[in-house]
Amino acid sequence: MGVFSFNYLLRRLLVFFLTIWVAATLIFIIPRLAPGDPIGAMIARMSRQEGFVENADLIIEAWRKRFGLDDPLYVQYFRFIGNTLRLDLGYSLANFPAKVSELVGRALPWTIGLVGIATAIFFTVGNLCGALLAWRRTPRLLKIMIPISMTFTSVPPALFSLLLVYIFGFLLPIFPQVGAYGRGMVPEFTLEFFGSVLYHGFLPAMSIVLVTFGFWALGMRGMMVTIEGEDYMILAQAKGLKPFYVLYRYMIRNAILPQMTALAVSIGTLVNGSVLVEIMFTYNGMGSLIYSGIANQDFGLIQGTSFILIVTSALAVLIIDLTYPLIDPRISLEGR
Amino acid sequence: MAEQSKDAAVAGGTKKAGLLNRFDNPWLNWKFLSGASIMGFIFFLIFLGNQFWDTELALAGSSPLNMPPLGFTNWRDQEGIPEHPLGTENSGRDMLALLIVGTPRTIGVGFIAATVGMGVGIFLGFLAGFVGGLVDDVIRLATDVTITIPSLLVLIVIQSVLPYIDLVTMALLISMFAWATPTRYIRAQVLSMRESGYVQMARLSGVPTRDIMYREIMPNLLPYLAASYIGNMTGAILSAVGLELLGFGPQRIPSLGVSIFFSIEAAALLRNMWWWWGIPTVILAIVFIALLLINLGLDEIANPRLRKAN
Amino acid sequence: MAERKNPHPKSLPGGSVSTRSHKEGGTSTLPFPPRGGKGLGDGGADRVVLSVDKLRIHYATPQGDVIAVSDISFDLYEGETLGLVGESGCGKSTTAYGILQLVQPPGYIVNGSIEVDGTEVLNLTEEELRKFRWTGLSLIPQGAMNSLNPTMRVKDQIIDVIESHEGKQNDKEALRKRIFELFQNVGLPNRIYNMYPHELSGGMKQRVCIAMGVALHPTVVIADEATSALDVVVQRIVAQTLVKVKDEIGVSLIVIGHDMGLLAQIVDRIAVMYAGKMVEIAPVENVYANPLHPYTQLLIDSIPSIKERKPLKITEGITHDPRNPPSGCIFRLRCPFAWEHCAEVEPPPIYVEDKHEVACHLYAEQFEERRTDALATLANP
Repeated sequence: MGVFSFNYLLRRLLVFFLTIWVAATLIFIIPRLAPGDPIGAMIARMSRQEGFVENADLIIEAWRKRFGLDDPLYVQYFRFIGNTLRLDLGYSLANFPAKVSELVGRALPWTIGLVGIATAIFFTVGNLCGALLAWRRTPRLLKIMIPISMTFTSVPPALFSLLLVYIFGFLLPIFPQVGAYGRGMVPEFTLEFFGSVLYHGFLPAMSIVLVTFGFWALGMRGMMVTIEGEDYMILAQAKGLKPFYVLYRYMIRNAILPQMTALAVSIGTLVNGSVLVEIMFTYNGMGSLIYSGIANQDFGLIQGTSFILIVTSALAVLIIDLTYPLIDPRISLEGR
Repeated sequence: MAEQSKDAAVAGGTKKAGLLNRFDNPWLNWKFLSGASIMGFIFFLIFLGNQFWDTELALAGSSPLNMPPLGFTNWRDQEGIPEHPLGTENSGRDMLALLIVGTPRTIGVGFIAATVGMGVGIFLGFLAGFVGGLVDDVIRLATDVTITIPSLLVLIVIQSVLPYIDLVTMALLISMFAWATPTRYIRAQVLSMRESGYVQMARLSGVPTRDIMYREIMPNLLPYLAASYIGNMTGAILSAVGLELLGFGPQRIPSLGVSIFFSIEAAALLRNMWWWWGIPTVILAIVFIALLLINLGLDEIANPRLRKAN
Repeated sequence: MAERKNPHPKSLPGGSVSTRSHKEGGTSTLPFPPRGGKGLGDGGADRVVLSVDKLRIHYATPQGDVIAVSDISFDLYEGETLGLVGESGCGKSTTAYGILQLVQPPGYIVNGSIEVDGTEVLNLTEEELRKFRWTGLSLIPQGAMNSLNPTMRVKDQIIDVIESHEGKQNDKEALRKRIFELFQNVGLPNRIYNMYPHELSGGMKQRVCIAMGVALHPTVVIADEATSALDVVVQRIVAQTLVKVKDEIGVSLIVIGHDMGLLAQIVDRIAVMYAGKMVEIAPVENVYANPLHPYTQLLIDSIPSIKERKPLKITEGITHDPRNPPSGCIFRLRCPFAWEHCAEVEPPPIYVEDKHEVACHLYAEQFEERRTDALATLANP
């Protein structure tokens, strides 16, 4: 046992806070690594856009104050970390005087909703398909159908969304091409609005699900094959348990554990993919916010949005890691 | 069970002899072979294209604008012409030339990033697995943190400061994140092999650690490393395509992702210029599926249990 | 085996023996009912509960089938403990898994008959087999370390076997009492009721497996090297537990093992296997006092003794290819007494006395002279 592996809970928390600190530090350092005076250049570039942006001098003033470019580097660094931890992410250039945190606050729930629902679907469907692929009693037809349905596995979600939009939004216009809800609708808690959200979210979610669930099916199948060779499976067979009970209580129950670990590891890739999918659908989540930041050279927005998305990912990983001991009795939160 | 596993071992013991038996060669795996053939065919087409097609046509303004592929018509009722069999896009680039030039660029980025990432991964994975202690702890923490961070976001932040970079720099930036997964994987494999009987045996008989690494562990790890490398390459191409879709990447002679970015910017979807975004998308999709097939095939080659399950 | 129709006088070695082979008539084709004892006033004491006839199991490999178990036949009597011994790879565990219908691919049963209490196990449909399992035949596995589901509490793993066969138990308190009783039978503390397998020691896990194995009072329990993964002291305690529980519950038991010393203390009869064949089956006293088959003699000789240090007699290396067994007697390549006849004719099981048979030409009537010579060499090496 090494120094940091003393306790499952502490280790997980350490990874969580380290991730946030690394993200904040990267965002502080990166603009300063660019050749020349990047902040100055950034501000100069903004100044050039004066014609398009109202209150440009106010923005530049706010940025100057925020960066405190005349202070020593370490003072800048600690001020930056302090601001960031208080979720004070500065102003958006394109939407001045809106603060980045306000924009992010509006976009984040959409991203969490989209990614969360897509994850729930592909994790469930994928693991179920994988379990059925490995199970001896699965009907032959299913064993043929499932691999066929996995054809698009590993195609990048963003590219797949292009194909889906073209086919189901353009050639056969059954689904909307853009947005998270009907144009002209106001977010409210009505059935109609909710329905519109599901209708608009279908293609984006499917872009993620259809190319992703195959990975989980393959992983699950591999785990099931491994577990079939375990001694307790032979005993389960000898015990004359009902086949379906053996499938879910002995096989899936044990095979799902490494799948949970794999889910935590894949959160980063998942967020990468969903950012791009959102952009393809102009879905009003974090991805589209970043894209507007790139289009408007709105650095504050790009950095703030990225930072919050990294924190959200780290939080999702932490939640999975903390749920894990609940399903694997061999790991306890108190450490051992 | 003792007998059973023993008898199973007798059956498995014929594996070596089976390599000579052409019906039992694990490398004759349909997934691996079909994936490798697809990739081989793509490279062959690129080679042919470079020989027989004018790649200068990938430059803007070299051809008429918005031409449809041969046999189709565009929204202006223009018909495709044999000079541009796959059509052209809105700044006069020939699609066929774009594919010939762009495909190897996109795959190349993945190749460089995966190679650098894999090299670092092998080094750190062995270091963590063999040295253990504090070194292992630090490497594990660094890996966990790197894996948790969605790499695309950091790359976007970097590129928003340095918008115009060449492909090699892009590949190196991507490799900053491409080392973590192989490190984690190799560390786990090394740890489990370290505990295995034959490595313990070698240690007891006083074989130096370095020799154990190179002579006992590496050869057994090779199929796993190959599978991991292909997986890593897929991930790196995915990151590269992601950045390109956001408009980062070479602009003068675009790679496949940048082409798609241009087409989206120009609302090609609404103008039904499907050849502009569609052909690069399908090519990329085929590359990803082929890489996945190679990866799955290598997995089965490395792991006899998976093979048996078929 | 079924040969008890003709009880011969106890006069071995050298007496008259019958050469009736199993090939000519298994249990099922005998004129009298297979159960019911010898009819010599023993009552029902020797009722056959398990009858295995010409069981043959192969493992398929690309280079041809490996013969793991080759036409084995034997009977198990009610209340009896039968030990199945032999060196690693001789097919004893495969025999057990064959009886339990648990042979894993690439292994498969080629032919044979397995009757438990008159039920032909091989003819059962899948669902009938499932219901028959654990009530007819139960298993105490070899690797108790990994034989319990790591994500289920001990109680749930015992409850699932009860509920799978007896339906949902609504009286939770009675169920709990029943499990505590099982724990008490095998000497487990009640506190493990709610524990997970990883919280138990190896010996405890093995006891849980024993408790689980007898939970439904099966007709036959098969213990597959149930103690070999444990240290010597725990081994003995677990073995004693096994015998105690078996007597209390009144089941018949097959114990598979290679520790002849440990087996001697707990079994009634011993069946010796060599390379997939059963070479001798005899009451435990006979095997130790007067082993007949040359291989049994080697096995008994190999038991270490503190009183005298003897050189290891069993020779390794001259085993045959399991895909391609030699003609005639399977043991002739290693047998010190083998002669031409052994290569020509496969020795049939020879009835020696009640519950004792041996498959060796030396004990056939027509080779009496040879037997006398062989025994003489054995006495004065």
